[in-house]
Amino acid sequence: MIEAVELTRHFKDIVAVEDLTLKVKDGEVFGFIGPNGAGKTTTVRMLCCLINPSRGTAYVNGLDITHPGDRIQIRGMIGLLPETPGLYESLSAHRNLDFFAQLYGISKGEREQRIKALLTTLDVWDRRDDPVAKFSKGMKQKIAIARALVHKPSFLFLDEPTSGLDPQASLTVRNYLMDLKKEGITIFLNTHNLDEAERLCDRIGVIQKRLLAVGSPEELSSKFWGKTTVIQLRSATTQMVHAVESIPSVRRVSLSEGKLLVELEHPDRDNPLVVKTLVENGAQIEFVNELKHGLEDIYLRLVGGRK
Amino acid sequence: MRFDKIWIVARKDISEFKTNRYIVFSLVLMPLVMAFIMPIVYLVPFTMLAGESPDVPLALHLNITHYTSDLDIENATVFDTKFVNSNLTNVLAQGCIFDNCSLTDALVRDSSILNTTIGSSYVIHSNIEGSPRVGSVLSGCVIIGETSEIEQLLSVFINSLLIFFILIPAMIPTIIASYSFVGEKLNRSLEPLLATPTTDMELLAGKSLSIFLPSMAATWLSLIPFVILVDVIAGPVIGHYPLPNPIWIVGAFILAPLFCLLSISANVLVSSRVNDVRASQQIGSLIVLPLVAFFIITIAGFITLDLFYMSAFALLIALVDAAVVYLSLKVFRREEILIRWK
Repeated sequence: MIEAVELTRHFKDIVAVEDLTLKVKDGEVFGFIGPNGAGKTTTVRMLCCLINPSRGTAYVNGLDITHPGDRIQIRGMIGLLPETPGLYESLSAHRNLDFFAQLYGISKGEREQRIKALLTTLDVWDRRDDPVAKFSKGMKQKIAIARALVHKPSFLFLDEPTSGLDPQASLTVRNYLMDLKKEGITIFLNTHNLDEAERLCDRIGVIQKRLLAVGSPEELSSKFWGKTTVIQLRSATTQMVHAVESIPSVRRVSLSEGKLLVELEHPDRDNPLVVKTLVENGAQIEFVNELKHGLEDIYLRLVGGRK
Repeated sequence: MRFDKIWIVARKDISEFKTNRYIVFSLVLMPLVMAFIMPIVYLVPFTMLAGESPDVPLALHLNITHYTSDLDIENATVFDTKFVNSNLTNVLAQGCIFDNCSLTDALVRDSSILNTTIGSSYVIHSNIEGSPRVGSVLSGCVIIGETSEIEQLLSVFINSLLIFFILIPAMIPTIIASYSFVGEKLNRSLEPLLATPTTDMELLAGKSLSIFLPSMAATWLSLIPFVILVDVIAGPVIGHYPLPNPIWIVGAFILAPLFCLLSISANVLVSSRVNDVRASQQIGSLIVLPLVAFFIITIAGFITLDLFYMSAFALLIALVDAAVVYLSLKVFRREEILIRWK
């Protein structure tokens, strides 16, 4: 488990991260979203023991990131994919991975096995002996992901893993992350790509120096908008609105462009009653649907967008 | 600190250097110039001026038929005579031996001159031993048991070349380190490296070792042909093989590694402040300034390049090394690298 407790980092007078408190459960994919300069990279760097917090602390698998004796151990159990691949361009893909595997103290036989498995999975085994400089951006990103995984880390920190990749390369990386998710690795994913976060992450934290919200996309949606049922009527009247409003479990009703928007605590239980009430009041229902708020809506609402 | 991790980092860096043509070129070219070109260009003219070794007397085939002692001789022509304790002025001499005499305004040829003062004279094809000369000209003579000025200068010059030689371990690290530290910073490959379970010290030691080993290997390997060439060129002139000598041993095996370490550490400091390989090389190359200053001081004659001054200079550089290594350790920390390195 990763647990941050009032984690704070200042750079002189500038606050990068303030009072970040959160928990990431084992095997969970946790998405960290926020605008540029929101403190995502600083948080990852603190959790990876690359920089010290100004205040507060965090625990990775129970080890304290501020404790000098724990820091080496933490670095041994994490894998980091930074914003840029940062590979040794003149060396081959194999040599890049082999170097890092050696630093983690993996034996030669196991290294070879592991490197082969990773490069084969990521479809770059045939180019293992080519200098990385000759690789495309997507291939470099794959090698960087393989590097972060070469020692079989329990915790994987990914900083914008699909940033700057073409759609196909992004898809390959995303699919691989889905596979990793199935393997049960705890993944901490910094991303700007809300669609990616929504697809991959079990829970999402929205940060803008402070943690603005945390939860699954559904939890966040329901937190800000509740659960809303959309009922398309052939023609709506105020009488119908008042009839629905009179149902005790209905929180709020609004009429927009012929659609009745009904906020309910338990739509599954109460939708039939709402429909029945409307029909009794002469409504002709064209369709009934659930109004979904995507992560983009949540994000923009939290970080000050207009939606 | 784990040495296996230091070696892993060093080996990786050396693998990278091998693929960098500029580094390979520097590692080969500079030692090649120092080992082959420098002795030829600088020493050959000296040897041509100095002539052959002085310690082999000329075969004069003297045929002494007269013996003279305790006389003052003026305006005379003398031949096949041995003079002892005599003063000869304005004489023309051939095939003579002068022992403990005084020769003034004389023209001497095919003679042996021992413990004699030679003043305003012209001596041709003779052996001279223990004889001071004032305002005299020697031609084709062998001076026995005495080093000529040009030969003395040659000996001093060979020792001065040491300073140039130490440029190899001072300059090569500047080139390699600029790629190793600034290059890695520009390539952004430091962050994943810093996220591994290695200490700052292990990373710095590994990277420094990867620069130290090729730099010193190039220095010491080029020393072998250099010593051979110097001995071959200067040996016949001086009468003995000038290298290796204690000054060179201190220089090559103490001062050179110290300068190499100084250069590496200074480059760590420079790398933390610049974002350009060339800028790093230019600033880093300033490391040769103390060496050049020491060279100028010795050439100007303020100090003699002897074992004492060499050891003192080495001690001074060791102290500077300690300070710069300490500063580089402070700079090469994860937090510093990620936040403060430009």
